[in-house]
Amino acid sequence: MAMSAEVREGFLCPMCMKDLGTVTMLQDHFEEEHSSEDKDVLQQLRGLLGKAKKKILGEKDSSDMFDTSSSSMSSSTYAVSNLSVTGYDPSVWDPQEIGFVRSRTDMFKSQRGARVDRYVVETNKLIIRLDKLTSSDAPVESSKRRAFEKSVVQWAPDSSVKTCQFCKRNFTLTRRRHHCRLCGDIMCDKCSQFLPHTFAKKLTDPAFQLQSDVDVGFLKRSDSNASLNSILGPEGDPHIRTCANCRKLLERRNDQMEQRNYKPAIVLLYEKMKMCVDNTEDLLREYLPMVESLSAGESIHSLQKAQMYRVKITKLYETIDGLSKKILNLGLNSEEEPQAKQLQLQRAIRLYASNFMQDNMLGLQSLPSEEQYKMLQERRTQEIQQRIAAERLAAIEAQEREKRLQEAKEGGHKNTPSSVKVTEERPRSGSKKLTSWMPSESNINFSDRDDPMIQQMNIIRGYIKQARQAQKFDEVNMLEQNLKELQQEYLRQQRQNWS
Amino acid sequence: MNVIVAIKQYISKMIEESGPGMKVLLMDKETTSIVSMVYAQSEILQKEVYLFERIDSSGRETMKHLKCIAFLRPTRENVEYLAQELRMPKYGLYYIYFSNVISKQEVKVLAEADDQEVVREVQEFFGDYIAVNPHLFTLNIPMCCQALNWSPGSLTRTVEGLTSVLLSLKKCPMIRYQNSSEMARRLAENVRQIINREAALFEFRKTDVAPVLLILDRRDDAVTPLLNQWTYQAMVHELLGINNNRINLSNVPGISKDLQEVVLSAEHDEFYANNMYNNFGEIGTNIKDLMEEFQNKSKSQAKVESIADMKAFIENYPQFKKMSGTVSKHVTVVGELSRLVGKHNLLEISETEQELACQGDHSACLQRIKALLSNEKTQQLDMLRLVMLYSLRYESHSNNDIAGLLEVLRKKGVSDKLRHMVHGVLEYGGRKARGSDLFGTQDAVAFTKRFFKGLKGVENVYTQHKPYMHSVVDQLIKGKLKEGAFPYLGTSQLKERPQDVIVFMIGGCTYEEAFAVHTLNRTNPGIRVVLGGTTVLNLKTLVLTPSST
Repeated sequence: MAMSAEVREGFLCPMCMKDLGTVTMLQDHFEEEHSSEDKDVLQQLRGLLGKAKKKILGEKDSSDMFDTSSSSMSSSTYAVSNLSVTGYDPSVWDPQEIGFVRSRTDMFKSQRGARVDRYVVETNKLIIRLDKLTSSDAPVESSKRRAFEKSVVQWAPDSSVKTCQFCKRNFTLTRRRHHCRLCGDIMCDKCSQFLPHTFAKKLTDPAFQLQSDVDVGFLKRSDSNASLNSILGPEGDPHIRTCANCRKLLERRNDQMEQRNYKPAIVLLYEKMKMCVDNTEDLLREYLPMVESLSAGESIHSLQKAQMYRVKITKLYETIDGLSKKILNLGLNSEEEPQAKQLQLQRAIRLYASNFMQDNMLGLQSLPSEEQYKMLQERRTQEIQQRIAAERLAAIEAQEREKRLQEAKEGGHKNTPSSVKVTEERPRSGSKKLTSWMPSESNINFSDRDDPMIQQMNIIRGYIKQARQAQKFDEVNMLEQNLKELQQEYLRQQRQNWS
Repeated sequence: MNVIVAIKQYISKMIEESGPGMKVLLMDKETTSIVSMVYAQSEILQKEVYLFERIDSSGRETMKHLKCIAFLRPTRENVEYLAQELRMPKYGLYYIYFSNVISKQEVKVLAEADDQEVVREVQEFFGDYIAVNPHLFTLNIPMCCQALNWSPGSLTRTVEGLTSVLLSLKKCPMIRYQNSSEMARRLAENVRQIINREAALFEFRKTDVAPVLLILDRRDDAVTPLLNQWTYQAMVHELLGINNNRINLSNVPGISKDLQEVVLSAEHDEFYANNMYNNFGEIGTNIKDLMEEFQNKSKSQAKVESIADMKAFIENYPQFKKMSGTVSKHVTVVGELSRLVGKHNLLEISETEQELACQGDHSACLQRIKALLSNEKTQQLDMLRLVMLYSLRYESHSNNDIAGLLEVLRKKGVSDKLRHMVHGVLEYGGRKARGSDLFGTQDAVAFTKRFFKGLKGVENVYTQHKPYMHSVVDQLIKGKLKEGAFPYLGTSQLKERPQDVIVFMIGGCTYEEAFAVHTLNRTNPGIRVVLGGTTVLNLKTLVLTPSST
């Protein structure tokens, strides 16, 4: 049997909390002592034990099955005592699955797709043309330039329109026709938009990085009537004339790109903080069982390792605390006060972090110190030994009773010597090697009539004692593991015999 | 069949689907109440939801680094707001959940607005009602009745709410309704229509026994909401008023600032969860225990001398703080309740009310009412309560003195408007409106039962009344409900006893009825009853309903 505290309670009588060593004894005890008290509990207990038995017999991996069934027994006896509680009880009904859900996403996407695809195709066309127009081998002299531009996109013939498509005014000698270099459409000078080459580069070249933080984008027009060329002067940034439609499409693409690549400070900090929180949760999941096992005096985990975990977790807490404070104070010292909602967000994140720490850190159990741990371990060993002795006694008694019962049934035809002889200890001298530790066979209790399993267990117990004296804790671990397995196996066999 | 769990599961699924990252929850007025009833803010904070916004608020800022979870009712205004929002998105990505069926046309409107491709999900999650207790829901429609029929708009909302309850619990029920009520019949037919029209939604795995939806009308039992209540939840609602689990205490004399509004939620308050169905006397003792436990704790907290003490203090502090909040909240609420009980002589009034509702001899009752009306302590609302109960009870008694009592009310300075409500109640829930034998005077069996009950004496004079609905549902689950009074809609009928029952009360249910359903669930293992209403009534809300006639 596993040695955890829960299982130790496996055969407790639910009425008087007396520890009965075995299932049958518990049942007997219950029928004798409490049969009059509560028929329901008895009925339930019987059912449960029956179930547990079936499970044990049916399953090869008996030890695990028995653990779960015995714990379910203790929990259901608990439920029995709880039935009288009144008030709100959400566990009255079975767990339910999530309610009905219908997705409209596909319908939505197909509707949106038709519309958005058009934009995407259109924009991609524009980008390809833009790339050609701004490429390094495009001619610069105005005479060749025009022909080149016309080869990129076909210009609408002048005669096709009489008015500007944007301002609807007639073209005259002074209001001349201009062509959009990207789609070839016609508009007047005032309605033209100008796209600088730097912005074009940003749109066409995914690897393009701006040197400075200057805002790139379409050129801003002043209200004056002067043509743009005169504002820029001869050595102004080279630019491309486009229409308002193309501008819209390109700006839309630019926004999307920016959003994909841009992460504000709060996101970076938050991602870091969240990572720490996740790490802490993972560590806690390992650490908490460690503490529990250590403070029970078990030697499955090492104290040093647990201490290391604790340090790690504390460090993570500090990082979370620091990061969340940073988030809280983001932008508070800058000249522009952050917006109200932004502040609210920052406060909420800090609250999240402090809630997390409060829930987990303040409850972070401290580890036992070295001396305390040693004491715990010793106490545990004693307890285990007492228990084993008690178990053995109980097992023998049970066997006895079984036998007596059988005899009674057989009508006392045979007269067999009844009492079990527990033979005296036979001390054997063992050889102790000084160089490496070896268990000797001394101090081992033997009784002739014992089950070979019990003998085996006793041998191992002796070894453990010796190993502990020799301070070989690795061996102790290993041996204890063996012992546990043996005990489980033994229990299983016993139960099979009885049933 | 737990409505709180149903809504909770919907909401946590929404939040999960958007993945990790900072989130904002965008809601409308109604979905805000729906969410706030099942989740505390700290709980939802744990799921990385840091901001809560109303779709109709104008002051929202652009925050592209947030994911937006939009949980909205599919109303026309909401679709318009949302389309506007998508044209100029304020947040990075959108996960949209409607609380009911959204039409293809509306999906198209939204899709066309989403030029920037910020929408990731559009789904229907049928959480279109407010879950109060695990087995109690409301639609928060204060006045569903106008000129003794459905007021405009409220029938549609009720049908939407009721079908969403069915979908969230995955039930496709047989429908029974109260034959005497035109409103019940119309609601039943409308629900059936939706089930037929949206047949694809209602294709659930067939259970052995079909669930039953039972539609009742408040007009059959106008008495229950008139009574003073003595179980914790019901009493708080009757005397202080519960609105989405919130209680307004700002009128309490000498109240401190942080207690002006308190939240009573069984999901987050263990003391309340354990005591909401206990009666006033039991709560008194329980709260005393709670106080003592708290005092012991605070004593141990008080001595912080050694390092070990300090450590223990810090480890227990969050629990301690939580407990101190619970204690001060319940002590204040219970204190105020007992102040009101004493001040307004409620024990004596309640005894008379119960007498009126359950048995009672006419002349003795009349005497007591007159005495109470002349008592200085009795407040106007309780006077009205008594006279209304008297009129409902002795409407057809040959010697009744309704006119005389109304005259006393007038002398006491009760306004014309309130006095007219006595007639309003008679018209709303009087003998002509009822399809049932509410007071059990006609049926010989019921009459003898009552007679014997009177002989045996009652355990508690203040809680002898059982809502009429209790006996209806009890008959239903025993398979004894008469088909004449509660016919099936359509031709198919249930041969077995039903297991899953959804009861809906047009005109609103009460917490006393919620308690009755809770008891039914506890005493009948294997049977699950959920109660709902257009609203949860107390006297203040009921007098509003017939006043609109």
